[in-house]
Amino acid sequence: MARNHGRLSDGQVGFLLVIPGLAVFCAIILYPFISAVLLSFTDRSLLFPGSNWVGLENYRKLFLNVYFFKTMLTTLWFVAGATLLPFVLGFIWAIVLHEQFFASQALRGITLVDWIIPGTAIGFLWSWIFNGEYGILNGLLLKTGLIQKGVPWLGQTTTALLCVIISRAWQMLPWYMAFLLGGLQGVSHEQVEAARIDGANNIQVFRHVVLPGMRQIVNIVLVLGAIGNLQHFDIPWTMTQGGPARATMTFSLEVYTTAFKNWKIGTAATIGTIWAILLLVFNIVYLKQVEESK
Amino acid sequence: MKPAGMFQRSAGFRIFFWCFAILIGAFVFLPLLWMVNTAVKPMDKTFTLSFFTGPLTLDNLIGILKNQTIMRYLRNSLLVSFASSFAATVVSAISAYSFSKFRYTGRKFIMGMFMMSQAFPQAILLLAIYLMMQRLGLLGSYWSLLFSYVVFTLPVGTWTLKGYFDALPDSLIESAKLDGAGNLTIMTRIIFPLAITGMTSIAIYGFVWSWNDLLFSMTLVTDTAKRTLAPGLVMTFLGEASTNWNAMMSASIIATLPVMIVFIFLQRFFIAGLTNGAVKG
Repeated sequence: MARNHGRLSDGQVGFLLVIPGLAVFCAIILYPFISAVLLSFTDRSLLFPGSNWVGLENYRKLFLNVYFFKTMLTTLWFVAGATLLPFVLGFIWAIVLHEQFFASQALRGITLVDWIIPGTAIGFLWSWIFNGEYGILNGLLLKTGLIQKGVPWLGQTTTALLCVIISRAWQMLPWYMAFLLGGLQGVSHEQVEAARIDGANNIQVFRHVVLPGMRQIVNIVLVLGAIGNLQHFDIPWTMTQGGPARATMTFSLEVYTTAFKNWKIGTAATIGTIWAILLLVFNIVYLKQVEESK
Repeated sequence: MKPAGMFQRSAGFRIFFWCFAILIGAFVFLPLLWMVNTAVKPMDKTFTLSFFTGPLTLDNLIGILKNQTIMRYLRNSLLVSFASSFAATVVSAISAYSFSKFRYTGRKFIMGMFMMSQAFPQAILLLAIYLMMQRLGLLGSYWSLLFSYVVFTLPVGTWTLKGYFDALPDSLIESAKLDGAGNLTIMTRIIFPLAITGMTSIAIYGFVWSWNDLLFSMTLVTDTAKRTLAPGLVMTFLGEASTNWNAMMSASIIATLPVMIVFIFLQRFFIAGLTNGAVKG
């Protein structure tokens, strides 16, 4: 590369170009993260100015709080359910749409519509479906005589979390379908043929050829899906706001509620810090997967 | 059916295929139709089980379009989403260009940091961003949203676009330099236009991200006049004593329309934008 006098070297130009990105990154991620972790050691409230350093007091209180463990458990149930349910359904749907039939191309496109709809609107839609008085689900169940009176699906602790998981699964099914369909298309035809010649049936082909061939993509969607669900806010917030009786209170809702409804931003930061550590574990797994797939 | 299918069409496979085609098909499509069905039902028929069979009306949808408050939320959302999508694409593109075509100390480290961005839970960042914006006097201003949205598009944007730029040969830049083109000209006139596919997907990704966001917009912008669509709808409908489901479903449809229009016209970019970032990593 030609030397140019009095002008910036290539390396300097490169660094100059990354400055805008780096600046917003530091302002919106790095600095807030560090200051949120520091916040977790204070009794900062949004109601009063100033704050005191309380050390590990917030952490001690949290670990003594039964609600905190309930939140953790709810989050784990939500993440497990809202990742595995749409994964399994999305996988089967991908297998169905992978077969070439008259409408398979069109159906792939229309399936994605569910995923385009803003989370808020999805929350509205499923609140309406699960509505305890006039919802379509109760309507159909009453009509077929399966139930005698309307079930308050979102109003009782036994079913609320399941309803939120189903709604989130409905939103994400197309996303899993899109990835897994790509994975199916990448499975080697020769290997499928070879297994057939050896007399393998459909289930054996799936278990010994298709699934191993898709291992990378399966791992990546599962980890990414779990990360997304650990972060998820819109649907549970729109449907239940964490209720009834904290039955759907996941980490993201808990942090939001503690900070902006109860104004205890220090405590919220403590919950958030613990949650960040949990998320970090998933991220390391994800980065490993991406590294391997290269 | 192509000659070498993945599965043999045995009786068992046929049963599996049809059962799940119908069951999952119903799960995927019926709620969508129920949303449209509720939106086009007259108010007095809301609670009937009729499925596109009774009288239909566009009054609910027109009612939302005539609702000044909701239309203002919609305009606010369009403004914020376009601005942040544009800013995010530009910032991602120049960062990606830097990572792809230049070598300097710290490059790998900065790339790694960008990639770790999603490791930070958004709700905890929000706490500190809220306090920071409060201190800067930007709370309630679109700047607070703009900065936040740019950053959430940055990791995916940078990694996807780096992939596109890596594919462009260095000789392209060399020969432009010999012709006397400066760094800025090379970037904006040669590199960016050649990666237009990637740039479009990232712009769409950024648009959809900010259009759908509820958490940040709900917290950082609380002034009713400035509210964006997602929190606007939550405030409009969730606070009410008796819920107007027809209006809610109509509003949901209208909130989906802008993204839907992008999807129909730019489907190829759309899917690339939303799935690429994750795998390319």
